[in-house]
Amino acid sequence: MSKRRSHVLTHILLVLICFLIIVPIYWVVKTSLTGENLFNYPPSLIPKDPHLYFFVDVYYWIPFLRFFMNSVIVSAIVVVSNIIFNAMAGFALGYNFPGKKIIILTYLSCMMVPFQTTIIPAFLLTKYFGLLNTHLGLALPLVSTIINIFVFKMNFDAVPHSLHDAARIDGMADWRMLFRIYLPLARPAIATNIILTFVWSWNNFIWPLIITQDTIMRTLPLGLARFLSYFEDTSGQLYAFVIMVIAPIVVVFLMNQKSFISGMMSGAVKG
Amino acid sequence: MRQVIGQKRGRILLMIYLFLFPSLAIFILYRITPIIWNLVLSFQEWQFIGPNTWIGLQNYAEMIRDPVFWQSFKNTLFYFFGGTPIAIALAVLVAVLVNNPIRGRNAYRVMIFLPYPITPVAVAIIWQWLYNEKVGLINYVLRSLRLVSDPVPFLQSFKLALPSVIVTTVWQVLGYFVIIVLTGLQTIPDDLYESAELDGASRLTQFFRITLPLIRSTIFLCFIVGIINSFTVFDIIYVMTDGGPGHATEILVTNIYKNAFTFNRMGYAAAMTMFMFLFLMLVTWYSNRVSGGEAGGVSYYE
Repeated sequence: MSKRRSHVLTHILLVLICFLIIVPIYWVVKTSLTGENLFNYPPSLIPKDPHLYFFVDVYYWIPFLRFFMNSVIVSAIVVVSNIIFNAMAGFALGYNFPGKKIIILTYLSCMMVPFQTTIIPAFLLTKYFGLLNTHLGLALPLVSTIINIFVFKMNFDAVPHSLHDAARIDGMADWRMLFRIYLPLARPAIATNIILTFVWSWNNFIWPLIITQDTIMRTLPLGLARFLSYFEDTSGQLYAFVIMVIAPIVVVFLMNQKSFISGMMSGAVKG
Repeated sequence: MRQVIGQKRGRILLMIYLFLFPSLAIFILYRITPIIWNLVLSFQEWQFIGPNTWIGLQNYAEMIRDPVFWQSFKNTLFYFFGGTPIAIALAVLVAVLVNNPIRGRNAYRVMIFLPYPITPVAVAIIWQWLYNEKVGLINYVLRSLRLVSDPVPFLQSFKLALPSVIVTTVWQVLGYFVIIVLTGLQTIPDDLYESAELDGASRLTQFFRITLPLIRSTIFLCFIVGIINSFTVFDIIYVMTDGGPGHATEILVTNIYKNAFTFNRMGYAAAMTMFMFLFLMLVTWYSNRVSGGEAGGVSYYE
């Protein structure tokens, strides 16, 4: 009896906390569909006469499709190159070879350098390469991430040695084994890589802010921040834009909650 | 550990170094070079045309005398000390609740985690509007409950702007801390609680005598994540207040950004970056020493 009562109390507390967490998101969804509570006081709880005009407005008022494609292209470069480069590095670190200690030390010390402390030289470097205002320049600092290298390494280490030995006896070259044997067995590591790097590159703001000068090269978060300063009062549209920016992340999250949460956990310290 | 043996020894070694090359190149270019470059820049005066001039320690001397720099450093610390303990306390509470064998615990977890992956720029816009003086939800609720008579200009007030921004961050990061604490809770063996129950310990006693001491290292990890977050947060402040009003919400990163890319004072900004970098190194070094290498991802090594 007392256990059941304490469960009721637990539910009440949790519902309250979840309510506080969800309300801001619900309010944005509602306003993007009605725009009403900005002009109606007091605000209503349930959307009245929802419509999608604000989304259409956003699509036509700004080069939304272009911003969206910029975000997609940069994220695609980041995600694909992360899988390839990190798997390669993680595989190589599974061997004993001269210089291994120094290389691991380099990785670990790089991990402690937050990106925000590198913005000035990173900008100058990218400018020197002539990559300002390009998709490649936007993606470059993120194309490999240390935490994900170690995620791959841990997954590869769990693969039984007998597989490696058998393949070697069959005469398979080691580099081939990565793609034929190890990668197919490292699905969880690949999932973690995709999720982490997709979220990081999709949400990235400070880097695009620094290196994009043309409107046409903006990614979605940058477009959103600039939209705010140009159209302060067009609120229904602003919140429709917010929804359009966060929708991909939220959809990916809701579709793979388990691997998403565990994936984000392994990135406790950004690499 | 795979060994490099056999006749193909040279080929395998070549493969190893080739495989390591792309990621190493990126980290050397975008992590290690910048630190050295920052150091060099911090001794220079940035020129629009022609080579930069060496000015020795002048940037650092200016930094020490600059009230805006100290304000931004203080704000950064306040950001950490104001936000992280609250977030951790809340996270422990929520994690203990969710850890009960109740129905729908997964749904609760998903809802609590949901804000964390959302684009920070979007979070900033959502909260800017919640805080709005005229149409904001928070002011509406406060006035409906008759807690205030006049609308509160949260983000325009010198006193309230920084705490308001901190609340926003806590909202976003809470779910993340909850999951970290949950992983800590799951390492505690059940029989500890069972024997405590036999001894007649109340749940509150159990919490303070068993749970808290056993998740100490987890809480420590949350603090490290919190301090790194507070030193690297940018998007939310840039969009919500841009450091204003005055410099009430100016933190180190916004200050560095403005000096480097708005006022074109790269040398001075580099000096501030060096300060921030060394401070963070000190924190990481200290926390690694205290925790025996648990923080900062060092535990991933082998």
